[in-house]
Amino acid sequence: MTMSPTLDTSGPEDGTGTPGDSRARRAHGHPPTPRPKRRGGRTAYLYVLPALILVVGVVYLGIGYNGWVSTLDWNGIDPNPESVGFDNYTKIFSDSIFWDSLSHVAVFGVIVILVQMALGLAMALIFSGPIFGRNIYKIIVFVPVILSPAAVSIAFRQLLSPDGQVNEALRFIGLDVLTNAWIADPKTALIALAVINIWQWTGFSFILYQASVSQIDQNLYEAAQIDGAGTWRIIRSIVIPQLKGTHATLALTGVIGALKTFDIVFLVTGGGPGRSTEFLTTYIYKQAVQQFNSGYAAALAMVLLVLALTLTAFQMRAYRFGED
Amino acid sequence: MFGRISLRQRLVYQVVATVLVIPFLFPLVAIVAISFSGQGPLANYTAVITQTPFFTFLLNSAVISAGTIALIYAVTMLAGFAFAKLKFTGRRLLFNAILVGLVLPSIALMVPMFIIVRQLGLFNNFLAVILPLSAVTVPLTLLLARNYLNGIPDEVIEAAKIDGATSFGTLVRIVIPLSRPITAVIIVWAFLQAWNEFFLPLLFLQDQNLQVLTQVPQFFTSTYGSDVPKIFAALVLVCLPIVITYLLLQKFFEKGLTAGAVK
Repeated sequence: MTMSPTLDTSGPEDGTGTPGDSRARRAHGHPPTPRPKRRGGRTAYLYVLPALILVVGVVYLGIGYNGWVSTLDWNGIDPNPESVGFDNYTKIFSDSIFWDSLSHVAVFGVIVILVQMALGLAMALIFSGPIFGRNIYKIIVFVPVILSPAAVSIAFRQLLSPDGQVNEALRFIGLDVLTNAWIADPKTALIALAVINIWQWTGFSFILYQASVSQIDQNLYEAAQIDGAGTWRIIRSIVIPQLKGTHATLALTGVIGALKTFDIVFLVTGGGPGRSTEFLTTYIYKQAVQQFNSGYAAALAMVLLVLALTLTAFQMRAYRFGED
Repeated sequence: MFGRISLRQRLVYQVVATVLVIPFLFPLVAIVAISFSGQGPLANYTAVITQTPFFTFLLNSAVISAGTIALIYAVTMLAGFAFAKLKFTGRRLLFNAILVGLVLPSIALMVPMFIIVRQLGLFNNFLAVILPLSAVTVPLTLLLARNYLNGIPDEVIEAAKIDGATSFGTLVRIVIPLSRPITAVIIVWAFLQAWNEFFLPLLFLQDQNLQVLTQVPQFFTSTYGSDVPKIFAALVLVCLPIVITYLLLQKFFEKGLTAGAVK
Protein backbone atom coordinates (compact mmCIF):
# COMPACT_ATOMS: atom_id res chain seq x y z
CA MET A 1 0.00 0.00 0.00
CA THR A 2 1.45 3.33 -0.92
CA MET A 3 0.22 5.96 1.39
CA SER A 4 1.94 9.24 1.57
CA PRO A 5 3.71 9.67 4.88
CA THR A 6 3.39 13.44 4.74
CA LEU A 7 1.94 15.36 7.65
CA ASP A 8 -1.12 16.93 6.19
CA THR A 9 -2.62 15.16 3.28
CA SER A 10 -4.40 17.86 1.44
CA GLY A 11 -5.73 15.50 -1.19
CA PRO A 12 -9.11 13.85 -0.99
CA GLU A 13 -9.47 11.63 2.04
CA ASP A 14 -12.51 9.56 1.57
CA GLY A 15 -11.12 6.60 3.45
CA THR A 16 -11.85 4.25 0.57
CA GLY A 17 -8.69 4.58 -1.52
CA THR A 18 -7.85 1.22 -3.00
CA PRO A 19 -4.51 -0.26 -2.09
CA GLY A 20 -2.22 -0.52 -5.08
CA ASP A 21 -1.82 -4.30 -4.90
CA SER A 22 -5.50 -5.10 -5.14
CA ARG A 23 -5.88 -2.65 -7.99
CA ALA A 24 -3.13 -4.51 -9.79
CA ARG A 25 -4.80 -7.82 -9.09
CA ARG A 26 -8.07 -6.62 -10.50
CA ALA A 27 -6.35 -5.28 -13.56
CA HIS A 28 -5.03 -8.76 -14.23
CA GLY A 29 -8.50 -10.10 -14.52
CA HIS A 30 -8.86 -11.80 -11.16
CA PRO A 31 -12.41 -12.12 -9.96
CA PRO A 32 -13.32 -9.11 -7.90
CA THR A 33 -12.24 -9.98 -4.41
CA PRO A 34 -14.22 -8.57 -1.52
CA ARG A 35 -12.73 -5.19 -0.85
CA PRO A 36 -9.87 -5.72 1.58
CA LYS A 37 -10.62 -4.45 5.05
CA ARG A 38 -9.26 -0.95 4.98
CA ARG A 39 -7.06 0.29 7.73
CA GLY A 40 -8.99 3.20 9.08
CA GLY A 41 -12.46 3.49 7.71
CA ARG A 42 -14.97 3.61 10.46
CA THR A 43 -12.76 2.22 13.22
CA ALA A 44 -10.51 5.27 12.88
CA TYR A 45 -13.28 7.35 14.40
CA LEU A 46 -13.25 5.14 17.47
CA TYR A 47 -9.64 6.09 18.05
CA VAL A 48 -10.25 9.82 17.91
CA LEU A 49 -13.56 9.63 19.75
CA PRO A 50 -12.18 9.90 23.31
CA ALA A 51 -10.11 12.95 22.38
CA LEU A 52 -13.08 14.49 20.62
CA ILE A 53 -15.46 13.84 23.50
CA LEU A 54 -12.99 15.36 25.93
CA VAL A 55 -12.12 18.44 23.88
CA VAL A 56 -15.57 18.98 22.41
CA GLY A 57 -17.20 18.21 25.74
CA VAL A 58 -15.17 20.75 27.64
CA VAL A 59 -13.87 23.26 25.12
CA TYR A 60 -16.58 23.50 22.48
CA LEU A 61 -19.50 22.94 24.80
CA GLY A 62 -17.90 25.58 27.00
CA ILE A 63 -17.55 28.07 24.17
CA GLY A 64 -21.09 27.42 22.98
CA TYR A 65 -22.49 27.77 26.46
CA ASN A 66 -20.46 30.94 26.96
CA GLY A 67 -21.85 32.32 23.73
CA TRP A 68 -25.39 31.76 24.98
CA VAL A 69 -24.74 33.15 28.46
CA SER A 70 -23.13 36.21 26.90
CA THR A 71 -26.54 37.28 25.61
CA LEU A 72 -28.09 37.19 29.05
CA ASP A 73 -28.34 39.45 32.02
CA TRP A 74 -27.73 36.74 34.57
CA ASN A 75 -26.23 36.34 38.02
CA GLY A 76 -25.43 32.67 37.39
CA ILE A 77 -28.09 31.31 39.77
CA ASP A 78 -31.46 32.86 38.87
CA PRO A 79 -33.51 30.20 37.02
CA ASN A 80 -35.06 32.84 34.75
CA PRO A 81 -32.24 34.86 33.20
CA GLU A 82 -33.25 37.76 31.05
CA SER A 83 -32.13 37.85 27.43
CA VAL A 84 -30.49 41.12 26.45
CA GLY A 85 -29.21 40.33 22.95
CA PHE A 86 -25.89 41.94 22.26
CA ASP A 87 -26.12 44.47 25.06
CA ASN A 88 -23.24 42.90 26.96
CA TYR A 89 -21.00 43.33 23.94
CA THR A 90 -21.89 46.95 23.37
CA LYS A 91 -21.30 47.54 27.06
CA ILE A 92 -17.79 46.08 26.71
CA PHE A 93 -16.77 48.64 24.14
CA SER A 94 -17.68 51.55 26.37
CA ASP A 95 -16.21 49.91 29.46
CA SER A 96 -13.01 51.76 30.35
CA ILE A 97 -11.86 48.89 32.59
CA PHE A 98 -11.96 46.61 29.56
CA TRP A 99 -9.74 48.95 27.54
CA ASP A 100 -7.40 49.48 30.48
CA SER A 101 -7.10 45.71 30.93
CA LEU A 102 -6.38 45.30 27.27
CA SER A 103 -3.62 47.89 27.39
CA HIS A 104 -2.12 46.27 30.51
CA VAL A 105 -2.01 42.92 28.73
CA ALA A 106 -0.44 44.56 25.69
CA VAL A 107 2.26 46.36 27.68
CA PHE A 108 2.93 43.26 29.76
CA GLY A 109 3.04 41.07 26.65
CA VAL A 110 5.45 43.28 24.74
CA ILE A 111 7.83 43.60 27.69
CA VAL A 112 7.92 39.93 28.64
CA ILE A 113 8.17 38.63 25.09
CA LEU A 114 11.02 40.96 24.13
CA VAL A 115 12.99 40.57 27.36
CA GLN A 116 12.54 36.80 27.53
CA MET A 117 13.67 36.41 23.95
CA ALA A 118 16.68 38.70 24.40
CA LEU A 119 17.77 37.07 27.66
CA GLY A 120 17.12 33.56 26.42
CA LEU A 121 19.11 34.17 23.27
CA ALA A 122 21.97 35.83 25.14
CA MET A 123 22.17 32.88 27.52
CA ALA A 124 21.94 30.28 24.79
CA LEU A 125 24.83 31.98 22.99
CA ILE A 126 27.07 32.54 26.00
CA PHE A 127 26.42 29.10 27.46
CA SER A 128 27.39 27.52 24.16
CA GLY A 129 30.87 28.91 24.78
CA PRO A 130 33.51 27.63 27.19
CA ILE A 131 31.68 28.40 30.43
CA PHE A 132 32.70 26.69 33.63
CA GLY A 133 29.73 25.16 35.49
CA ARG A 134 27.52 25.43 32.44
CA ASN A 135 25.10 22.68 33.44
CA ILE A 136 24.52 24.21 36.87
CA TYR A 137 23.80 27.59 35.25
CA LYS A 138 21.39 25.90 32.91
CA ILE A 139 19.53 24.19 35.74
CA ILE A 140 19.24 27.48 37.66
CA VAL A 141 17.66 29.24 34.72
CA PHE A 142 15.35 26.35 33.91
CA VAL A 143 14.06 25.39 37.38
CA PRO A 144 11.59 28.33 37.58
CA VAL A 145 9.85 27.02 34.45
CA ILE A 146 8.70 23.87 36.22
CA LEU A 147 7.56 25.50 39.44
CA SER A 148 3.88 26.01 40.15
CA PRO A 149 2.80 29.56 39.23
CA ALA A 150 0.82 29.58 42.47
CA ALA A 151 3.98 28.87 44.49
CA VAL A 152 5.98 31.42 42.51
CA SER A 153 3.31 34.05 43.13
CA ILE A 154 3.26 33.49 46.87
CA ALA A 155 7.05 33.65 46.99
CA PHE A 156 7.31 36.89 45.01
CA ARG A 157 4.62 38.60 47.06
CA GLN A 158 7.05 38.38 49.94
CA LEU A 159 10.28 38.97 47.97
CA LEU A 160 8.86 42.15 46.41
CA SER A 161 7.24 43.55 49.55
CA PRO A 162 8.60 46.87 50.90
CA ASP A 163 10.79 45.12 53.49
CA GLY A 164 11.31 42.12 51.24
CA GLN A 165 14.45 40.46 50.00
CA VAL A 166 14.63 42.31 46.68
CA ASN A 167 14.78 45.70 48.37
CA GLU A 168 17.22 44.27 50.92
CA ALA A 169 19.50 43.14 48.10
CA LEU A 170 19.26 46.53 46.40
CA ARG A 171 20.26 48.27 49.61
CA PHE A 172 23.07 45.79 50.07
CA ILE A 173 24.64 46.66 46.72
CA GLY A 174 24.15 50.38 47.37
CA LEU A 175 21.20 50.93 45.04
CA ASP A 176 18.91 52.36 47.73
CA VAL A 177 17.38 54.74 45.20
CA LEU A 178 15.88 51.78 43.36
CA THR A 179 14.06 50.35 46.36
CA ASN A 180 10.32 50.47 45.95
CA ALA A 181 7.06 49.09 47.20
CA TRP A 182 6.95 47.23 43.83
CA ILE A 183 3.58 45.50 43.91
CA ALA A 184 1.90 48.03 46.18
CA ASP A 185 2.82 50.96 43.93
CA PRO A 186 0.49 51.43 40.93
CA LYS A 187 3.41 52.82 38.93
CA THR A 188 5.56 49.69 39.27
CA ALA A 189 3.05 46.89 39.86
CA LEU A 190 2.71 45.96 36.19
CA ILE A 191 6.49 45.98 35.77
CA ALA A 192 6.80 43.78 38.86
CA LEU A 193 4.42 41.24 37.30
CA ALA A 194 6.45 41.35 34.10
CA VAL A 195 9.63 40.71 36.09
CA ILE A 196 8.08 37.69 37.81
CA ASN A 197 6.93 36.33 34.47
CA ILE A 198 10.38 36.92 32.98
CA TRP A 199 12.00 35.15 35.92
CA GLN A 200 9.73 32.16 35.50
CA TRP A 201 9.74 31.82 31.72
CA THR A 202 13.15 32.92 30.41
CA GLY A 203 14.33 29.33 30.90
CA PHE A 204 11.84 28.28 28.24
CA SER A 205 13.17 30.74 25.64
CA PHE A 206 16.67 29.76 26.63
CA ILE A 207 16.11 26.01 26.13
CA LEU A 208 14.42 26.63 22.80
CA TYR A 209 17.21 28.86 21.55
CA GLN A 210 19.81 26.46 22.85
CA ALA A 211 18.28 23.59 20.89
CA SER A 212 18.22 25.57 17.68
CA VAL A 213 21.64 27.21 18.13
CA SER A 214 23.13 23.73 18.36
CA GLN A 215 21.60 22.92 14.99
CA ILE A 216 23.32 25.74 13.12
CA ASP A 217 25.86 24.42 10.65
CA GLN A 218 29.36 24.87 12.12
CA ASN A 219 30.76 25.49 8.64
CA LEU A 220 28.91 28.80 8.52
CA TYR A 221 30.92 30.03 11.50
CA GLU A 222 34.20 28.85 10.03
CA ALA A 223 33.49 30.46 6.69
CA ALA A 224 32.63 33.73 8.42
CA GLN A 225 35.76 33.58 10.55
CA ILE A 226 37.90 33.03 7.48
CA ASP A 227 36.25 36.12 6.01
CA GLY A 228 37.41 37.96 9.11
CA ALA A 229 34.07 38.31 10.90
CA GLY A 230 34.25 38.83 14.67
CA THR A 231 31.97 37.17 17.22
CA TRP A 232 29.50 40.06 17.28
CA ARG A 233 29.28 40.17 13.52
CA ILE A 234 28.72 36.40 13.37
CA ILE A 235 25.90 36.65 15.86
CA ARG A 236 24.25 39.48 13.96
CA SER A 237 24.67 38.17 10.45
CA ILE A 238 24.49 34.41 10.92
CA VAL A 239 23.04 33.29 14.22
CA ILE A 240 20.09 35.67 14.53
CA PRO A 241 18.83 35.16 10.96
CA GLN A 242 19.29 31.38 11.26
CA LEU A 243 17.03 31.31 14.31
CA LYS A 244 14.05 32.83 12.51
CA GLY A 245 11.83 29.84 13.26
CA THR A 246 12.55 30.02 16.97
CA HIS A 247 11.90 33.76 17.13
CA ALA A 248 8.53 33.16 15.50
CA THR A 249 7.64 30.28 17.80
CA LEU A 250 8.51 32.31 20.89
CA ALA A 251 6.59 35.35 19.69
CA LEU A 252 3.54 33.21 18.99
CA THR A 253 3.61 31.27 22.27
CA GLY A 254 4.41 34.55 24.04
CA VAL A 255 1.32 36.32 22.72
CA ILE A 256 -0.93 33.40 23.64
CA GLY A 257 0.81 33.14 27.01
CA ALA A 258 0.29 36.83 27.78
CA LEU A 259 -3.41 36.62 26.94
CA LYS A 260 -3.75 33.51 29.13
CA THR A 261 -1.81 34.92 32.10
CA PHE A 262 -3.99 34.65 35.16
CA ASP A 263 -2.44 32.89 38.14
CA ILE A 264 0.40 35.28 38.87
CA VAL A 265 -1.66 38.41 38.35
CA PHE A 266 -4.52 37.16 40.46
CA LEU A 267 -2.31 35.87 43.26
CA VAL A 268 0.31 38.64 43.35
CA THR A 269 -1.62 41.87 42.81
CA GLY A 270 -5.20 40.69 42.34
CA GLY A 271 -5.40 43.27 39.54
CA GLY A 272 -4.51 46.13 41.87
CA PRO A 273 -3.54 48.44 43.38
CA GLY A 274 -6.73 50.04 42.15
CA ARG A 275 -7.11 48.59 38.68
CA SER A 276 -3.49 49.23 37.72
CA THR A 277 -2.76 45.59 36.86
CA GLU A 278 -6.20 44.40 35.83
CA PHE A 279 -5.90 41.82 33.04
CA LEU A 280 -8.74 40.54 30.88
CA THR A 281 -8.52 37.19 32.67
CA THR A 282 -8.70 38.68 36.16
CA TYR A 283 -11.52 40.98 35.08
CA ILE A 284 -13.48 37.98 33.77
CA TYR A 285 -12.88 36.09 37.00
CA LYS A 286 -14.04 39.01 39.12
CA GLN A 287 -17.14 39.61 37.02
CA ALA A 288 -18.07 35.93 37.13
CA VAL A 289 -17.18 34.91 40.67
CA GLN A 290 -17.23 38.08 42.75
CA GLN A 291 -19.76 40.33 41.02
CA PHE A 292 -22.12 37.59 39.81
CA ASN A 293 -22.29 39.14 36.34
CA SER A 294 -22.20 35.84 34.50
CA GLY A 295 -23.54 37.32 31.27
CA TYR A 296 -21.00 40.10 31.14
CA ALA A 297 -18.16 37.74 32.13
CA ALA A 298 -19.15 35.36 29.34
CA ALA A 299 -19.18 38.20 26.81
CA LEU A 300 -15.70 39.26 27.97
CA ALA A 301 -14.56 35.65 27.64
CA MET A 302 -15.86 35.53 24.07
CA VAL A 303 -13.95 38.71 23.24
CA LEU A 304 -10.80 37.22 24.77
CA LEU A 305 -11.28 34.05 22.76
CA VAL A 306 -11.77 35.92 19.48
CA LEU A 307 -8.69 38.01 20.29
CA ALA A 308 -6.58 34.89 20.93
CA LEU A 309 -7.73 33.18 17.74
CA THR A 310 -7.29 36.29 15.60
CA LEU A 311 -3.82 37.06 16.89
CA THR A 312 -2.77 33.44 16.42
CA ALA A 313 -4.12 33.20 12.88
CA PHE A 314 -2.57 36.55 12.00
CA GLN A 315 0.83 35.56 13.33
CA MET A 316 0.80 32.13 11.75
CA ARG A 317 0.26 33.80 8.43
CA ALA A 318 2.90 36.46 9.08
CA TYR A 319 5.52 33.90 10.08
CA ARG A 320 4.45 31.52 7.33
CA PHE A 321 3.96 28.59 9.67
CA GLY A 322 2.87 25.38 8.11
CA GLU A 323 4.37 26.16 4.74
CA ASP A 324 7.26 23.76 5.01
CA MET B 1 31.04 30.61 16.82
CA PHE B 2 33.56 31.82 19.34
CA GLY B 3 36.59 30.71 17.38
CA ARG B 4 39.83 30.66 19.34
CA ILE B 5 39.62 32.84 22.39
CA SER B 6 42.13 34.12 24.87
CA LEU B 7 42.07 33.45 28.57
CA ARG B 8 40.98 37.02 29.15
CA GLN B 9 38.00 36.73 26.82
CA ARG B 10 37.12 33.47 28.50
CA LEU B 11 37.06 35.25 31.80
CA VAL B 12 34.84 37.97 30.38
CA TYR B 13 32.35 35.37 29.12
CA GLN B 14 32.37 33.64 32.49
CA VAL B 15 31.63 36.92 34.26
CA VAL B 16 28.84 37.88 31.86
CA ALA B 17 27.26 34.43 32.18
CA THR B 18 27.41 34.64 35.97
CA VAL B 19 25.90 38.14 36.02
CA LEU B 20 23.05 36.92 33.83
CA VAL B 21 22.34 33.93 36.07
CA ILE B 22 22.48 35.66 39.46
CA PRO B 23 19.01 37.29 39.19
CA PHE B 24 17.61 33.82 38.46
CA LEU B 25 19.44 32.22 41.35
CA PHE B 26 18.63 34.94 43.88
CA PRO B 27 14.88 34.22 44.36
CA LEU B 28 15.57 30.48 44.63
CA VAL B 29 18.15 31.02 47.33
CA ALA B 30 15.94 33.59 49.08
CA ILE B 31 13.00 31.15 49.14
CA VAL B 32 15.08 28.46 50.83
CA ALA B 33 16.71 30.99 53.17
CA ILE B 34 13.35 32.37 54.31
CA SER B 35 12.11 28.83 54.96
CA PHE B 36 15.06 28.40 57.35
CA SER B 37 14.46 31.68 59.19
CA GLY B 38 12.19 32.44 62.15
CA GLN B 39 11.99 29.46 64.46
CA GLY B 40 14.58 27.60 62.41
CA PRO B 41 14.40 24.96 59.71
CA LEU B 42 13.43 22.05 61.93
CA ALA B 43 10.48 23.83 63.55
CA ASN B 44 9.27 25.30 60.24
CA TYR B 45 9.32 22.08 58.28
CA THR B 46 7.90 20.03 61.13
CA ALA B 47 5.05 22.54 61.40
CA VAL B 48 4.23 22.15 57.70
CA ILE B 49 4.06 18.40 58.00
CA THR B 50 2.23 18.21 61.33
CA GLN B 51 -0.03 21.29 61.36
CA THR B 52 -1.50 20.78 57.91
CA PRO B 53 -3.00 17.71 56.26
CA PHE B 54 0.25 17.57 54.29
CA PHE B 55 0.30 13.85 53.54
CA THR B 56 -3.38 13.76 52.64
CA PHE B 57 -2.80 16.61 50.21
CA LEU B 58 0.32 14.91 48.87
CA LEU B 59 -1.66 11.74 48.24
CA ASN B 60 -4.47 13.73 46.58
CA SER B 61 -1.96 15.50 44.33
CA ALA B 62 -0.43 12.15 43.44
CA VAL B 63 -3.79 10.57 42.64
CA ILE B 64 -4.90 13.53 40.52
CA SER B 65 -1.55 13.56 38.71
CA ALA B 66 -1.67 9.82 38.05
CA GLY B 67 -5.25 10.03 36.81
CA THR B 68 -4.50 13.00 34.58
CA ILE B 69 -1.39 11.35 33.14
CA ALA B 70 -3.24 8.09 32.44
CA LEU B 71 -6.19 9.80 30.79
CA ILE B 72 -4.06 12.17 28.72
CA TYR B 73 -1.74 9.39 27.62
CA ALA B 74 -4.51 7.00 26.59
CA VAL B 75 -6.52 9.64 24.75
CA THR B 76 -3.43 11.13 23.10
CA MET B 77 -1.97 7.86 21.83
CA LEU B 78 -5.29 6.58 20.48
CA ALA B 79 -6.02 9.80 18.62
CA GLY B 80 -2.39 10.42 17.67
CA PHE B 81 -2.20 6.97 16.08
CA ALA B 82 -5.37 7.55 14.08
CA PHE B 83 -4.37 11.05 12.94
CA ALA B 84 -0.88 9.88 11.95
CA LYS B 85 -1.51 6.46 10.48
CA LEU B 86 -5.16 5.94 9.58
CA LYS B 87 -7.00 7.65 6.79
CA PHE B 88 -10.54 8.81 7.28
CA THR B 89 -12.91 11.49 6.10
CA GLY B 90 -12.56 14.76 7.93
CA ARG B 91 -9.22 13.84 9.42
CA ARG B 92 -7.71 17.24 8.92
CA LEU B 93 -10.80 19.09 10.02
CA LEU B 94 -11.09 17.11 13.25
CA PHE B 95 -7.40 17.52 13.98
CA ASN B 96 -7.54 21.28 13.55
CA ALA B 97 -10.72 21.43 15.60
CA ILE B 98 -8.86 19.86 18.50
CA LEU B 99 -5.84 22.15 18.01
CA VAL B 100 -8.03 25.22 18.57
CA GLY B 101 -7.81 24.22 22.23
CA LEU B 102 -4.14 25.29 22.13
CA VAL B 103 -4.92 28.98 22.11
CA LEU B 104 -7.84 28.89 24.46
CA PRO B 105 -7.36 30.68 27.78
CA SER B 106 -8.89 28.22 30.23
CA ILE B 107 -10.20 31.04 32.38
CA ALA B 108 -12.57 31.81 29.51
CA LEU B 109 -14.19 28.45 30.23
CA MET B 110 -14.58 28.96 33.94
CA VAL B 111 -18.28 29.77 33.99
CA PRO B 112 -19.34 26.90 31.70
CA MET B 113 -17.03 24.50 33.53
CA PHE B 114 -18.71 25.42 36.76
CA ILE B 115 -22.13 24.68 35.28
CA ILE B 116 -21.00 21.41 33.66
CA VAL B 117 -19.42 20.20 36.88
CA ARG B 118 -22.60 21.09 38.76
CA GLN B 119 -24.82 19.39 36.17
CA LEU B 120 -22.75 16.20 36.30
CA GLY B 121 -22.67 16.29 40.09
CA LEU B 122 -18.89 16.20 40.09
CA PHE B 123 -18.22 18.62 42.92
CA ASN B 124 -15.75 17.10 45.37
CA ASN B 125 -14.81 14.47 42.83
CA PHE B 126 -11.27 14.28 41.45
CA LEU B 127 -12.78 13.95 37.97
CA ALA B 128 -13.84 17.60 38.20
CA VAL B 129 -10.14 18.44 38.10
CA ILE B 130 -8.86 15.60 35.92
CA LEU B 131 -11.33 16.06 33.06
CA PRO B 132 -10.94 19.82 32.42
CA LEU B 133 -7.19 19.62 32.97
CA SER B 134 -6.92 16.81 30.44
CA ALA B 135 -9.17 18.61 27.98
CA VAL B 136 -6.96 21.70 27.91
CA THR B 137 -3.73 19.65 27.81
CA VAL B 138 -4.66 17.09 25.14
CA PRO B 139 -4.43 19.53 22.20
CA LEU B 140 -0.72 20.02 22.86
CA THR B 141 0.16 16.40 23.65
CA LEU B 142 -1.82 15.28 20.61
CA LEU B 143 0.11 17.66 18.36
CA LEU B 144 3.40 16.31 19.73
CA ALA B 145 2.31 12.67 19.48
CA ARG B 146 0.93 13.04 15.95
CA ASN B 147 4.17 14.64 14.77
CA TYR B 148 6.22 11.90 16.39
CA LEU B 149 4.07 9.03 15.11
CA ASN B 150 4.21 10.45 11.59
CA GLY B 151 7.89 9.54 11.72
CA ILE B 152 7.19 5.81 12.15
CA PRO B 153 7.46 4.30 8.68
CA ASP B 154 4.21 3.10 7.14
CA GLU B 155 5.97 -0.13 6.17
CA VAL B 156 6.17 -1.13 9.84
CA ILE B 157 2.41 -0.69 10.20
CA GLU B 158 1.78 -2.51 6.95
CA ALA B 159 3.95 -5.45 7.98
CA ALA B 160 1.94 -5.83 11.17
CA LYS B 161 -1.27 -5.74 9.18
CA ILE B 162 -0.04 -8.44 6.79
CA ASP B 163 0.81 -10.56 9.81
CA GLY B 164 -2.83 -10.31 10.74
CA ALA B 165 -2.67 -7.71 13.49
CA THR B 166 -5.74 -5.59 14.04
CA SER B 167 -5.18 -1.86 14.08
CA PHE B 168 -5.48 -1.88 17.87
CA GLY B 169 -2.99 -4.75 18.10
CA THR B 170 -0.64 -2.75 15.89
CA LEU B 171 -0.97 0.25 18.18
CA VAL B 172 -0.35 -1.72 21.36
CA ARG B 173 2.35 -4.11 20.18
CA ILE B 174 4.19 -2.12 17.51
CA VAL B 175 3.54 1.61 17.79
CA ILE B 176 3.63 2.08 21.57
CA PRO B 177 6.92 0.21 22.04
CA LEU B 178 8.38 2.46 19.33
CA SER B 179 7.10 5.58 21.10
CA ARG B 180 9.14 5.64 24.29
CA PRO B 181 10.61 9.12 23.74
CA ILE B 182 7.25 10.75 23.10
CA THR B 183 5.70 8.76 25.96
CA ALA B 184 8.22 10.32 28.33
CA VAL B 185 7.46 13.77 26.94
CA ILE B 186 3.69 13.35 27.34
CA ILE B 187 4.01 12.02 30.88
CA VAL B 188 6.32 14.84 31.94
CA TRP B 189 4.07 17.49 30.46
CA ALA B 190 0.89 16.02 31.95
CA PHE B 191 2.58 15.65 35.33
CA LEU B 192 3.68 19.30 35.36
CA GLN B 193 0.18 20.50 34.49
CA ALA B 194 -1.51 18.35 37.12
CA TRP B 195 0.95 18.83 39.95
CA ASN B 196 1.12 22.60 39.58
CA GLU B 197 -2.60 23.24 39.10
CA PHE B 198 -4.03 25.61 41.68
CA PHE B 199 -7.43 26.91 40.63
CA LEU B 200 -9.31 23.82 39.49
CA PRO B 201 -8.90 22.02 42.83
CA LEU B 202 -9.67 25.26 44.64
CA LEU B 203 -12.91 25.72 42.71
CA PHE B 204 -14.19 22.17 42.48
CA LEU B 205 -12.80 20.32 45.49
CA GLN B 206 -14.25 22.22 48.38
CA ASP B 207 -14.06 19.33 50.84
CA GLN B 208 -10.86 19.96 52.76
CA ASN B 209 -9.87 16.29 52.72
CA LEU B 210 -9.70 16.43 48.93
CA GLN B 211 -7.47 19.48 48.58
CA VAL B 212 -4.08 19.31 46.93
CA LEU B 213 -0.52 20.26 47.74
CA THR B 214 -0.64 23.75 46.18
CA GLN B 215 -3.09 24.71 48.95
CA VAL B 216 -0.71 23.91 51.81
CA PRO B 217 0.88 27.40 52.06
CA GLN B 218 -2.59 28.89 52.68
CA PHE B 219 -2.63 27.24 56.08
CA PHE B 220 -0.11 29.76 57.38
CA THR B 221 -1.85 32.77 55.90
CA SER B 222 -4.40 34.46 58.05
CA THR B 223 -6.01 37.84 58.35
CA TYR B 224 -4.03 38.44 61.54
CA GLY B 225 -0.67 38.16 59.85
CA SER B 226 1.12 35.34 58.14
CA ASP B 227 3.81 33.05 59.40
CA VAL B 228 6.17 33.79 56.52
CA PRO B 229 8.94 31.27 57.26
CA LYS B 230 6.41 28.44 57.47
CA ILE B 231 4.71 29.54 54.26
CA PHE B 232 8.08 29.30 52.58
CA ALA B 233 8.85 25.94 54.13
CA ALA B 234 5.54 24.80 52.65
CA LEU B 235 6.50 26.27 49.26
CA VAL B 236 9.78 24.38 49.31
CA LEU B 237 8.02 21.11 50.17
CA VAL B 238 5.41 21.68 47.45
CA CYS B 239 8.08 22.32 44.82
CA LEU B 240 10.59 19.73 45.95
CA PRO B 241 9.02 16.65 44.32
CA ILE B 242 8.90 18.33 40.94
CA VAL B 243 12.42 19.73 41.21
CA ILE B 244 13.80 16.32 42.17
CA THR B 245 11.93 14.70 39.30
CA TYR B 246 13.39 17.34 37.00
CA LEU B 247 16.95 16.79 38.18
CA LEU B 248 16.55 13.04 37.62
CA LEU B 249 14.91 13.37 34.21
CA GLN B 250 16.43 16.62 33.02
CA LYS B 251 16.57 15.62 29.38
CA PHE B 252 12.92 14.59 29.18
CA PHE B 253 11.73 17.77 30.83
CA GLU B 254 13.62 19.97 28.43
CA LYS B 255 12.50 17.88 25.50
CA GLY B 256 8.97 17.88 26.82
CA LEU B 257 8.77 21.62 26.91
CA THR B 258 10.48 22.21 23.59
CA ALA B 259 9.23 19.23 21.60
CA GLY B 260 6.44 21.15 20.01
CA ALA B 261 8.53 24.10 19.04
CA VAL B 262 11.76 22.69 17.66
CA LYS B 263 11.87 20.28 14.81
